[in-house]
Amino acid sequence: MDWLEFFRGPMFQIALLVFILGMVYRFLRIVLMGWKKDYSPPRGSAAAGVVKTYVKGLGFLPFLPPKFPGTRHRPLTYIAGGMFHLGLFVVIFLSTPHMEAWRSVLGFGWPTLPTPFIDGFAAMSMIGMIILLSNRIVSPVGRMLTGLGEWLNWIVVFLPLLSGWVLYHHLFGMPYQTIFAIHMFTVDWLLIWIPFSRISHFMTYFITRTMHGAKFGRLGVEP
Amino acid sequence: MSATEIIDQQALNFFVKNVGAEVASQLEACTRCGLCADACHFYISTGNPEYTPIWKVELLRRAYEQNYTILGKLKTAIGLDKRIDTEDIAHWAVLDFQACTVCKRCSFVCPMGIDIAGLIGKVRAGLTAAHATPPKLMAMTKNQLEKGSPDGSDEAKWAAWFKWGEEQLGKSLPMDVKGADSLVVFTMLELNSFRNNLVHIARIMNAAGEKWTLSLRARDAFNMGTVIGDGAVQKKLAERIVKVAHELGVKRIIVTECGHGYVTLRQAAHNLFGETLPFDVVHITELMGDFVRQGRLKLRKGYFDNEHRITYHDACKIQRIGGNFDSPREILNLIAPSSFVEMNLNREQSFCCGGGGGVRAIPEAYDLRMEAFSLKAAQMREVDATDVVMSCSNCRLQFKEGFEHFRIQGEVKGLVEMVAEAMIE
Amino acid sequence: MTEKTIYESMVERGLSRRDFLKLATLMTAALGLEYSQLPKVVHAMENKPRLPVIWLEFQDCAGCSEALTRSHDPYLTKLLFNDISVDYHETLFAAAGKQAEENKERVMDEYEGQFVLVVEGSIPTRDNGVYCTIGGRSAIDLLEEAASKAMAIISVGTCASFGGLPHANPNPTGAVGVHELVKDKPIIHVPGCPPIPEVITNTIAHVVLLGEIPELDALGRPKAFYGQTVHDRCPRRPFYERGQFAESYDDKGAKAGWCLYKLGCKGPTTYSACATIKWNEGVSFPVQSNHPCLGCTEPDFWDGGGFYKSLAAPPGAEAARGAQAGFASLGGAALAVGSALYARKIKQKAAEEFKAQKKKEA
Ligand code: HEM
Ligand code: SF4
Ligand code: SF4
Ligand code: SF4
Ligand code: SF4
Repeated sequence: MDWLEFFRGPMFQIALLVFILGMVYRFLRIVLMGWKKDYSPPRGSAAAGVVKTYVKGLGFLPFLPPKFPGTRHRPLTYIAGGMFHLGLFVVIFLSTPHMEAWRSVLGFGWPTLPTPFIDGFAAMSMIGMIILLSNRIVSPVGRMLTGLGEWLNWIVVFLPLLSGWVLYHHLFGMPYQTIFAIHMFTVDWLLIWIPFSRISHFMTYFITRTMHGAKFGRLGVEP
Repeated sequence: MSATEIIDQQALNFFVKNVGAEVASQLEACTRCGLCADACHFYISTGNPEYTPIWKVELLRRAYEQNYTILGKLKTAIGLDKRIDTEDIAHWAVLDFQACTVCKRCSFVCPMGIDIAGLIGKVRAGLTAAHATPPKLMAMTKNQLEKGSPDGSDEAKWAAWFKWGEEQLGKSLPMDVKGADSLVVFTMLELNSFRNNLVHIARIMNAAGEKWTLSLRARDAFNMGTVIGDGAVQKKLAERIVKVAHELGVKRIIVTECGHGYVTLRQAAHNLFGETLPFDVVHITELMGDFVRQGRLKLRKGYFDNEHRITYHDACKIQRIGGNFDSPREILNLIAPSSFVEMNLNREQSFCCGGGGGVRAIPEAYDLRMEAFSLKAAQMREVDATDVVMSCSNCRLQFKEGFEHFRIQGEVKGLVEMVAEAMIE
Repeated sequence: MTEKTIYESMVERGLSRRDFLKLATLMTAALGLEYSQLPKVVHAMENKPRLPVIWLEFQDCAGCSEALTRSHDPYLTKLLFNDISVDYHETLFAAAGKQAEENKERVMDEYEGQFVLVVEGSIPTRDNGVYCTIGGRSAIDLLEEAASKAMAIISVGTCASFGGLPHANPNPTGAVGVHELVKDKPIIHVPGCPPIPEVITNTIAHVVLLGEIPELDALGRPKAFYGQTVHDRCPRRPFYERGQFAESYDDKGAKAGWCLYKLGCKGPTTYSACATIKWNEGVSFPVQSNHPCLGCTEPDFWDGGGFYKSLAAPPGAEAARGAQAGFASLGGAALAVGSALYARKIKQKAAEEFKAQKKKEA
């Protein structure tokens, strides 16, 4: 078995299982930490708050803060975060090869976008990531908050994007299989790494956002 | 509460015992993006990265990770993280008590929806458990537990205040009236600095024909337990008011110019007692709004329209998390329709005055809170406002001190006094 | 012994200078060289000694030889096989048995270190190679003998190159490609199942006519023919880019000639000249004829998860994957419950300690 087959086959399967096991663990572990009942009388609807917060947060783009901060100190961070996540979403779900990968795992497929679009979104995503990284390096707040885990997150997410890009464009004259193998290797690592890192925020997001919407909806303020 | 030495283990134990799913999920969700920094007036005004809201939660996060997550244990074992020690506690006591007004502005900005200020409240509580809370706040707590008010004002002093009110009013104040609809609760801050409020509110209540009462046993809505994050104290102090409200059988408790007292009774109290209490907790701002809307209170239209430009300061507890945005605006649009201007950042986005959450009471925090106030002053300048109105005594004092500090000409008004003046009795 | 040059051997066989120049021109084009390089080719053919070719066939289907006979450039093939080079071909030669064997031995000895060995088919190695024997000798044995005397080896077809179909999982005969057994000779891979006939002849011609090894890629394939993927030159590529895919073989997309990616086309990972040289005198090639590329020029192409499964789909049994995912979820859940119970203990302990300290303070 050559490397490509190994990274696409057994290692992918292992990575997928680690990912599933890890995420189920993370989710349940958090949820099972115990909840407190809120006895204070509601001034508004928690459910409406949840709906509103998702419409604001996800309906636009996940990165737009539900309330614009007012200070326009770092609008670039918002924009870059949005470019990165939107691009990532499009690349992961709306490119044909990725959809086919999902289909083989999930059993159903969906329509996809033409390749040049995907290409553009991938580029946008990478540019966004580079801006976010420079922000982490340049801004004192970024430097202070970023630990080893966050640097690693960046690399682990950037590499599949980069290798996918190189793969699509046949850059550097590398044999297709070699880049494909590298791409699959980085994807496998991403899957394995997610449960051990804060990239799992795509899961916790739905816990915290729901809580946020419910809490402030209940208080009678716009979440 | 006698020990003054910091006990780090006690903070740790507090953090560990208080982590539930709500805290855990929020700690895990943070992507360390740093966007919350841009929400905090302390960070914006000083540029000190340590004032980044989520950084103020660092102790709680570390305690959580070190005790509950495999990776956190691993990190501690290989030296990437270390156990929280007394130095850490002292350091974060400064950050969390002097550089945070628990204004919740950050909680609305975090893209992950993390209630950072809520977590900061937990950190404050842990610091209090470890005896790291600023001594001034602890002294105030002791005062309130023993005498009833944080400044040491006791029942006699309050009785004198009420008596003064009756003289001014030329009329007796309703005390401990059974079957009254509303129990009105003031704070020592208000009666020390804006004593006229007592008269104003009495007049407003009477004019609206409200069946209301005061009580010397339920006199101060201030709650040092909320400020320092001590649940037991919080409950003991809230109980004084709740007990009287039960006894008199009131339908609602009216909190006057106090933000944290209002949210403590409206939200925390129910959970402290583990039941939904059978009365509403209403802020004087929304009550006045209701009166006006119901036609129970008649205001002179355009009474305050003059060459001044009046703006409104949304207080964190009353507006941002209290939701009372519309009442003050309805009132101001009635009494000062052409003089009233909004600041550019208003309603939920409003900047905190910089003095809330006990910060105003901490002498060491003076310079910092003035820095923070400079943002508010800039907000006023932006719209050429000369005067500013609000409904919280603490904000008002911060504004007054800020105006003095920066030599700003202008008037700091209370909404209550304006209503009382513009009212047709 | 002194060797005749190609030109000399052609003249000897009654061909004219005109024929020779025609061949040289054809060669220049076929080798992918600039027309200005023609003099170099002519010079080489006039001066370099002719290299004999010996063609051995082992464990295979003879499809590669079969393909050769259908070359659409019969002139070159005929020339190469009949008139210039091939001195021994296991399958195509009329002679058989002992006599043929002897002939082969003779050429090998006579031209030791000078002949080109072409191998077709894989070599079974299990059980001492008993699964493929010729005249009582195992393929391993025969290959080793021939290889030791050859100047260079051309592995024709995926079997000889990478083990081919016989090598497919579970590979019962232990079949391997030539390069697994022969380490000390230059080896050129001409994979394909079968390879395009022109690619076979052109590669052999390059070696025997110019006496040099063409430029190879990482897998030992001549870059001239394996430098681009089927996908790179595929006529359906615009549909791929636009996201227009056939979903089945008889849907609207298939009829309109849309891309076959979703039907399992391996074109993107397959280096081959299929889309440019094509088959059957340049008439068509599989993708053009509405069938996905199987990836036949790549090692292990049949073990890649299924011919009709998308390239992006990870290989492996889907049913097993579902079950494993289920187990992983259950495992995660069980761990979480266990860990939450443990967490409860930690919490209780902290609460007790906290209370005790509080009591002490009071
Ligand atoms: C529901 C889905 C998701 C939401 C709501 C979300 C939200 C966020 C937010 C709010 C941030 C911080 C703000 C910023 O830097 O722009 C962030 C950062 C990040 N996210 Fe996501 N995310 C999601 C999915 C993902 C996924 C699927 C990945 C990767 C596989 C990912 C990788 C990252 C990385 C690496 C960062 C840090 C970037 C940096 O600042 O260096 N996110 N995410
Ligand atoms: S609550 Fe207010 S003061 Fe405290 S960190 Fe958040 S924004 Fe800053
Ligand atoms: S804004 Fe939210 S996610 Fe970003 S660092 Fe602050 S708390 Fe963490
Ligand atoms: S049919 Fe195959 S080779 Fe042609 S464009 Fe589609 S995927 Fe590529
Ligand atoms: S299209 Fe693909 S599978 Fe078919 S012959 Fe060409 S390379 Fe081989």
